[in-house]
Order: sequence, then structure tokens, then C-alpha cells
Amino acid sequence: MKKPKNNRVILSFICFIFGMMLAFSYQYTKKEAAKRNVTDRQWQKEYEYRQQLIQIQKENRKLKNELVQKQNEVTEMENALANQQKAHTNLAKQAEKLRMYVGESKVKGKGIEVTLSDASYIPSEQSATDYIVHEQHVFKVIHELLISGAEAIAINGQRISHRSYIVCNGPVIEVDGTQHAAPFIISAIGNPDVLISALNIAGGITDQLVQDNITVKIDRKEEIVLDPIFPVHRP
Amino acid sequence: MWLPLIGLLVGFTVGFLADLRVPDEYSNYLSIAILAAFDTLIGGLRAHLQQTYDEIVFITGFFFNIILATTLTFLGVHLGVDLYLAAVFAFGVRLFQNIAVIRRLLLTEWMERRQNREKS
Repeated sequence: MKKPKNNRVILSFICFIFGMMLAFSYQYTKKEAAKRNVTDRQWQKEYEYRQQLIQIQKENRKLKNELVQKQNEVTEMENALANQQKAHTNLAKQAEKLRMYVGESKVKGKGIEVTLSDASYIPSEQSATDYIVHEQHVFKVIHELLISGAEAIAINGQRISHRSYIVCNGPVIEVDGTQHAAPFIISAIGNPDVLISALNIAGGITDQLVQDNITVKIDRKEEIVLDPIFPVHRP
Repeated sequence: MWLPLIGLLVGFTVGFLADLRVPDEYSNYLSIAILAAFDTLIGGLRAHLQQTYDEIVFITGFFFNIILATTLTFLGVHLGVDLYLAAVFAFGVRLFQNIAVIRRLLLTEWMERRQNREKS
């Protein structure tokens, strides 16, 4: 009776070990199966996705290269444009300056005003012409002013250009077709000191004008504004 | 009678709960050991039914078969020859033979019982 019981215990122990081994193996197999299953199911998908990713990255790289190229182009174009603009601005500035000289645009600056008036006292009727301002007086003043560096000149507010003409027309003088009567105010933009001293040189213009019985008044002006010759054409 | 079965269940549960992972490279050994153990158990059952059961033979057979099968596998792995196939083959054949014997024994017993019942 003792033997079978012992027998059972040992058998149970062996069964216990066997059960444990079975459990290990089962677990291992399950794990392995799960792993393989996962790979089986997802390998294809993973491969697909990877392929897609590679494709997209390739495309991205290509696009990026293109972008860089385009940006370079844009920069180049911008540079060219900037250069052009610079050239344009220079040209515009130059044109503006030239226009100022030619008299097509309004100018403003320091200068002087020379007023030539007829003599206030006329001794006799016959020699009246000796006491009024003639166009050559105006010429002289204008020439002297130009020689001494005046940049813009106007008579009674009318700009004088290199093509202007001044003619005697009886009691008045005509400047570019517009008649002006005395007193003549000749405005000149330039360095006032230089202009005034040029006019006041001993034996110079002022002296000659005074000799011709003309009242000369020279004013220094801080700001003179001269209109263009053809205000209408001013852009 | 139920003690071995309970032992089997307890062992299974403990093995499950222990959460002991077998490394990949030892999985071959484990499977072959299980085969050996299973063969021995079936052999023991047959011996029990044939009234020739010997405890010492059973226990030594159990462990010796496991160790032998594992060793064979180990050798096979290191020699590059699939020696574990020999173990699988031997155990598998014996397993089938033993199960056939057990089936025949049980069948005979059952037939005898039925005949006895019909007689009585």
C-alpha cells in the first residue's frame, strides 16, 4: 500500500515538470507566432510605406533643389533690377539737374535780385531815352550774372534759357515774346557773395548802369523760387 | 488517481505564471525535451496498463530521455547535422506505438467489460 502512494507522488512531480515545460513551450510558441504573424501581416505594408517615404523624400529633395535654383534666379533678377533701378535713379537725377539748368523745372535757392528802374528825375524831355532802362542794360546784367556763375536767371519772374531773346520794343522790352516794362527785377540763383561782388566791381556793371542814369538796387535773397519756362509742359 | 493530473495542471499554471522566457536559441532543446518527456509519460502509462510499470525505470527514463534528446540536439547544432531529427523520429515512432498499444489495451478492457455486462 505504501508503494503506490510513493509512486503517485513521484508521478505527480514528473507531471509537474512536464506541465511546466509545456507551459514554457506554449508561451514561447505563442510569442514566436505572434511575432511572425505581425511581420507577416505588416511586412508588406511596412515595405510599401517605406517605399512611399523614400519616394516622397526623393521628391522633396528634388523640389528643394528646384526651390534653391528658383531662389537663386530670383536673387539674380532682383540684383539686375536693383542695378537697373540705380541706373534709372541716376538718370532721373541727372535729367532733373539738366532740366533745372535748361529751365524746364522749378528751382529754388539762395541768390540775388537786381532791380533796374528808370531814373526818377528826368531833366529834359528830349533826352528821355538817356534815362530809361534799355535792353542792353538788362543784357549786361544778365551776362555778368551768367559769367559769375548764376545758375538760373529770370526777368520779372520769367525764366531765361539759353535760347531766350530779349529785344527792345519801344518803351518796353520783350523777353521770349512777353513784354516787360520797367522796373526790371532780375532774379538770379547762385552764390550771392560772388554775384554781388561781380556786379559791384569798380568800373563794372553797376558803375556803368549808374553812369547811364539807371537806379540799380541789389538785394541779397535767402530763397528765390523760379518757375519753369513753360509751366504747362512741366511733367 | 487524480494527483498526477493535478500535478500536471499546477505545473502548467506555474509555468504560465512564472513568465519565464526561453531564449530563442534554446527553443529547439525545449521542444525536443518535451517530446522526450511526453514519450516517457505515454510509455509509463502503457507500462502501467500492462502491469509492468517500474518506478525506477520510469523516472530514470524520463530524465535520461530528456537529457539524451537535448544532448543529441546540442551535438547536432554544433556539428551541423540535424541530429535532433533522430530524436524526433525515434520518439515520434515510439509515441505512436505506445499510443496504439494503449488504445488496444483500453479497447480490449472495454470489450471485456461489455461482454461481462451482457452476460450478467
